[in-house]
Amino acid sequence: MVFEQLSGNLIQGIVLGAIYGMATMGLSLIFGVLKVVNVGHGAFIMVGAFVTLWLFNALGISPIIAVPIAFGVGMGLGLIFYYTIMQRLLKAPELATLLATFAIGVLLEEIVKLIFGSEFRGYNWAVGKIGLGVTVLPLSKLYACIGSILVAALLYLWFKKTRAGSAVRSVVEDSEGARVCGVNVGGAYALSFALGIGLTVASGTLLTMFIPVGINPYMGGGYTLKAFVIAVLGGLASPYGAFFGGLVFGIIENGSYTLFALIPGVEPFALTRFLSFVMLLVILLIKPTGLLSGSGK
Amino acid sequence: MKKQIAKYYPIIPVFAAYLVLFLIGRNVTGTWQLVAMLLFYCALGQAFNIFLGMTGYVDFGYVAFMGVGTYGMALSITRLANIEGLGAAVIAIGFLLALLMSTLLSLAVGAVALRLRGAYFAIATIGVNEGFRFLIEGARIWNGSEGLIFTAQLNQILGRETASALMTFWADIMVLIIAALAAFVTLFYMRSKIGYALTALREDEDAAKVMGINVTKFKIIAFVTSACFAGLVGAASWALKTPYVFPPEVFEIHYTIEAIIIVLLGGAGTLLGPVAGGLIYGISKYYLSIILPGFQLLIFAPIIILIIVLFPEGVIGMLKNRVKNSALARFII
Repeated sequence: MVFEQLSGNLIQGIVLGAIYGMATMGLSLIFGVLKVVNVGHGAFIMVGAFVTLWLFNALGISPIIAVPIAFGVGMGLGLIFYYTIMQRLLKAPELATLLATFAIGVLLEEIVKLIFGSEFRGYNWAVGKIGLGVTVLPLSKLYACIGSILVAALLYLWFKKTRAGSAVRSVVEDSEGARVCGVNVGGAYALSFALGIGLTVASGTLLTMFIPVGINPYMGGGYTLKAFVIAVLGGLASPYGAFFGGLVFGIIENGSYTLFALIPGVEPFALTRFLSFVMLLVILLIKPTGLLSGSGK
Repeated sequence: MKKQIAKYYPIIPVFAAYLVLFLIGRNVTGTWQLVAMLLFYCALGQAFNIFLGMTGYVDFGYVAFMGVGTYGMALSITRLANIEGLGAAVIAIGFLLALLMSTLLSLAVGAVALRLRGAYFAIATIGVNEGFRFLIEGARIWNGSEGLIFTAQLNQILGRETASALMTFWADIMVLIIAALAAFVTLFYMRSKIGYALTALREDEDAAKVMGINVTKFKIIAFVTSACFAGLVGAASWALKTPYVFPPEVFEIHYTIEAIIIVLLGGAGTLLGPVAGGLIYGISKYYLSIILPGFQLLIFAPIIILIIVLFPEGVIGMLKNRVKNSALARFII
């Protein structure tokens, strides 16, 4: 009985983990290229959720179509914030970028609150369910999972096969060297920042399939914390590490929920949130460069 | 001897500001509530500045220390109310407990997180308040998500009249004392080896290390001191003014945001900055909440960004540069 529940939850965990992974790739990409920690990360996920909600409720656009739209919105936001704010802070002390990204997150939350209000919302995209023996998986979640794997694969191809992707990689390796070789380093920074934000906002779309009525301007805070756990799990600067970190985290989160639920007199959901905080501290203590990344890089 | 005293001149404008605030609150009818709010923000800024200002590290989970401080006071009042003859000592024990709990939590977090540099440290702290909140709720510690309500116990310990005087007046005086104390400790640190070490590591941590400064030790000193004051502020301003504590309220990240705004507005690492920042923030928040209720942060978030991009030194930082070679320079740091 418990075993069945656990294996069912683990499958759900893998599916959710794929979304977590994609939701964290943007954070890792931005840190890897610009060495900027986007503390307002969760707010961009929230923006994606609201874009999806609005497209679905107001225009009847399916969440699958919403993914590229959200990605475009994110790219736009990323470019705006890069050229108005981040660009000026690249040479400033780390404190400046930490506080600036934090403030950007707060600003986004307040703008969305101004437009949509602060109550919890959701939408219902009913496309059926699929039975997997130990658990029943709504098809919407399965699509989200496939979507995030697809996006991760596309990002991989983009990095390996395109000129712009190689330029970004060269900047990660050695920005001075890249500049000498004629790479437009500023452009690579802007592109990576926009791409990172685009990925994050698009992941907000996929995430809405998992939270039927959990869309709210302040929903991002919890995801910021999770994204950091995942990012350090996979090595903060590596988008692929982040993707696998997300899978691991999804499994741990759902597995621990089942186990916590066995303890009488506790609230298992709250304890999984506590666990993610403890995991963050423990990983940072043991190996801040990431448990899943081989070398120190 | 005179030189020793001269080192502490900069405390004069800070104390003068607090005295003026107090006098306004006492003598102009109807202003005490506003003054109390301003005192709270000054105290919050003064406490946060000891860490953010002096080390250049940012702690996104800072409110957790105020939260555990609030719990310290709440636990003392709820658990000791039925013991005869303790009387007002319960409050004193509450403050001690608040100190103890914020010290322990900050030592635990600091011991792990302060080994890490800048960005990694910030990441480690981002979940402290949420983590602690979910521990209390999840494991049902201290009444879990139902929180603690202790108005009755407070009345029982002190009598109805004293308790109400405590909530409406004396708690604010305690906040004032804590703010003044935090300012004094800030100046004391600035004028001692601790301050020099912290300045060195804030400017260049590697160089400081090479010079033989035990950077982790000094970061922990600043972190724990700052956390202790946060715990005291929580105990005085939250537990005693509003005798209840709910985990989602006292671990709300909102207060960390406010602390950051205040310190940045005033000027991180300056002594007078938190006072200036607290006053500017408190007064504008007070009026904004009348004009635009619920949307103060919509105004303040872009202000943080503007300060970071355009005026990273803050109000007092700019003033300090302006009065550099005048007689005022001795008083403003």
